[in-house]
Amino acid sequence: MGYVHDTAMSQYIPPTLWHFVTGTFTHAAGAVAGTIAINRAAANETSVVTIPIKLVSNSAAAKGALLKSIEVDYEIFTAEPTSITWTLNKVTRGADTAVASVAAQTKTNTLSDANAKTVEQHKQTITVTTPFWLDNDEYALLQMSIVAGAGGNTTKFLAAVANFTLRF
Amino acid sequence: MGYLQDSQTTIYIPPTCAHRVTGTWSHAAGQVVDTICQSVNDANQTSKLTIPLMIFSNSNSQKGCKLKSVEIDYEITGAALEEVTAVINKVTRGADTAVAVVTTPAFTYDTGHDTAAERLAKDQHKMTLTITTPFWVDNDEYVLVELTINQAGDTGVFELLGAFANVTLRL
Repeated sequence: MGYVHDTAMSQYIPPTLWHFVTGTFTHAAGAVAGTIAINRAAANETSVVTIPIKLVSNSAAAKGALLKSIEVDYEIFTAEPTSITWTLNKVTRGADTAVASVAAQTKTNTLSDANAKTVEQHKQTITVTTPFWLDNDEYALLQMSIVAGAGGNTTKFLAAVANFTLRF
Repeated sequence: MGYLQDSQTTIYIPPTCAHRVTGTWSHAAGQVVDTICQSVNDANQTSKLTIPLMIFSNSNSQKGCKLKSVEIDYEITGAALEEVTAVINKVTRGADTAVAVVTTPAFTYDTGHDTAAERLAKDQHKMTLTITTPFWVDNDEYVLVELTINQAGDTGVFELLGAFANVTLRL
């Protein structure tokens, strides 16, 4: 009963929910007092950071959350990494005994590859080219692959925010 | 299109989401069987435990979530601590190349936790932080509740069970 259609919704996803593979990651204070971060220590390696996009989903078509964009706040210190690559994946869960299937989603980035890796505070926005409703057997993961290189850079991951339309 | 306002919405934030600095924190069973907690080791130290409030926000004014209070469930075992204090940090995110800005909205403790001795006592705790002027969370803002936990010279252990954000939800 009832109907809600709100196109201006956002969901904060703290860095404590993110998934970190390869590298040494620790809870640390952010550069601004009172903020939190996960710190990646300097090392010449490729780290993969995956942000689970925690949204409501719905088994009815075109209801629940329509994922439109994701903003990621992070800080790079000391030196530029070699590269940062962004991939947005939609995972369709498998039935019992079946594996999940993953489909990369077409998207655009507000920051160019060169600008996204400078020694600076960053706010990268990933815009989904064709926004999609999340079915109840689906979820989305935003992957950030950091080729650190030998420059001794460190990274602090601050926050992600998913922007979506909510329809009930 | 459409309209929903619910002034009694609560959002659970599990202890696994908490951000821990200083101390050795681990996932552990709570004192009650089948509950979960983040537990810090017994040591002479002052830890910062920050709870990120994962609530909806909205780019339109007075929509999304209006944060009114936060309840924090924790247990102190072994012995009383030296200090447990809370701060609410409201973070306004920076644009690209700009730092975030942090403000500290005023709040009051519930009557069972409005003295230091009450907050640090060996006991089960349900501490409520009531925001003096409840506020709507904009899409470029988020809220963190920071606990300072001082165990200096004690044998007490702090265990976070969970937090609950009480909001008005308007969509």
